[in-house]
Amino acid sequence: MKNSTAYLIIVMVVISLASGLVLALTYNFTIPSINEIAAREQEQAILAVIPGATKYETYESAPFPMYKGIDDSGSIKGVAYVIEGGGFQGIIKIMVGIDMQNQALTGIKILSHSETPGLGARITEDWFQSQFAGKSINDAFVARQDVEAITGATISTKAVSRLLKESIPNVVEQYKTLGGGK
Amino acid sequence: MELLLLFISQVLVNNFVLARFLGICPFLGVSKRTEVAFSMGLATTFVMTLSAIATWLVQNFILIPFGMQRFLQYVAFILIIASLVQFVEMFLKKTSPTLYQSLGIFLPLITTNCAILGLALLAALNEYSLIQSTIFGFGAGVGFTLAITAMAGIREHIEFSDIPAAFKGVPITLVTAAIMAMAFLGFSGLIPM
Amino acid sequence: MGATYEFYKGLWKENPVFRMVMGMCPTLAVTNAAINGVAMGLATAFVLVCSNIVVALIKTLIPSKVRIPAYVIIIATFVTIADLILAAYFPDIQKVLGLFIPLIVVNCVILARAEAFASKSNVRLSILDALGMGIGFTWALTLLGIIREILGMGSIFGISLFGEGYISWIIFILPPGAFLTLGLLIAFFNAFSKNKAEDSCCH
Repeated sequence: MKNSTAYLIIVMVVISLASGLVLALTYNFTIPSINEIAAREQEQAILAVIPGATKYETYESAPFPMYKGIDDSGSIKGVAYVIEGGGFQGIIKIMVGIDMQNQALTGIKILSHSETPGLGARITEDWFQSQFAGKSINDAFVARQDVEAITGATISTKAVSRLLKESIPNVVEQYKTLGGGK
Repeated sequence: MELLLLFISQVLVNNFVLARFLGICPFLGVSKRTEVAFSMGLATTFVMTLSAIATWLVQNFILIPFGMQRFLQYVAFILIIASLVQFVEMFLKKTSPTLYQSLGIFLPLITTNCAILGLALLAALNEYSLIQSTIFGFGAGVGFTLAITAMAGIREHIEFSDIPAAFKGVPITLVTAAIMAMAFLGFSGLIPM
Repeated sequence: MGATYEFYKGLWKENPVFRMVMGMCPTLAVTNAAINGVAMGLATAFVLVCSNIVVALIKTLIPSKVRIPAYVIIIATFVTIADLILAAYFPDIQKVLGLFIPLIVVNCVILARAEAFASKSNVRLSILDALGMGIGFTWALTLLGIIREILGMGSIFGISLFGEGYISWIIFILPPGAFLTLGLLIAFFNAFSKNKAEDSCCH
């Protein structure tokens, strides 16, 4: 009886169903918190790259994630967008803030990356990220000339610079087609 | 071209064993003899390529459409891999007894080889297409075969070397792996992502 | 060979990392910082205890032919639970450990304890066994993490030790450093212990 095929199948089905049930319950229990964390991280990243903004709105019709940062009085402080592309070892994802009035970057924040620990991973350090704030959007973004490079991680530095340089014209274009600050 | 780069990056740059730490158990455990290590590599490459395809199908036709990929992915993937290994074992036993004799003993070990599950999860994470996943699986398998065969070649020589008693066995193997990993670091940055 | 022995053996005599050489993938991959070693160890210990309890409870119901797939489903279920809980309440840890959380499923320490111990013992002994092995795994990963973080970053648990002037040996937080540190540690323990580390894992 215990080794009959029917019994084997019943046991496996019961175990699989129990597993699925337990997991579905755990998922429903934890998903609000997981979504909340994702939303909070997104908000923090947007507000971090647009100084002065206290809340944000999403450009729903933009072809890539693009947001406008708004301050308490309701005026637009800047535009933020997410760009991702290849680094030294994997994809680098960056949140970038631009002040369209002054044609300048207001800040960048590395959202995720898989660069070498201790070398390329230092792109997340404050001194590296903060050097981009205030740069003109027409800047050449040449690593080791106008972007200070990380020792031993020139390729990661170049990757970040290249991503910025390539994406900025697109965003400016999008901003115009979406009706600018309105 | 892009697929060729993906293949090379899996074999050399992001070698599963030496750069990603996947499949360390067989790498340390089944690397005493070159022929055995090579057979293990072949069996793993075979299962890796198949499971890359199978898990892609399940991910894209079952898990994602039903919105279950966040909580059923691990259970589903490991079950697919376990059944696939079982199936390959039965298939080989029936169709090719010689191949079964050389690869058969490794197949049960492959289920718990984290390289296979790691491969399925990485392919899903990177949202690879079916062709990319297949190349990814095959490249990872070839990289694994390369690493384990090279390691076995070195260990055959170490066996006759005069090394301190405390280093015999696992420690010297790990130190060898460290030097191999250092050599493979030279490949990093070879392929622009 | 009482109940205390079942707990205590995992700490040193049958330590999964240094003596049995099991679960090498997470051991090498996540230990580039001490805190990662602690987190990985605790997550593994959680899965180990839970799956040992369930296996010990239902061992008589599972036919031996399908016991491995059955255990694997049980383990994968607890790993997913651990992953979801970490994502919901400790998102930073979940991000750092990343891919290696789902890979706890194929950590041979867990399947080996289910197969070699929990399937043959009662619930109380299985819990003690899992706790001992879990703590043994955790301290081993923490020690590796501490050594690699000190050498590779000049810090311990993120606290800088040597000040600005320290030139860190970055190689120690890269893959070669993982193999080297573990190899030297096992050799060190071999030199001071009667029994050598097992020659291979997961057999």
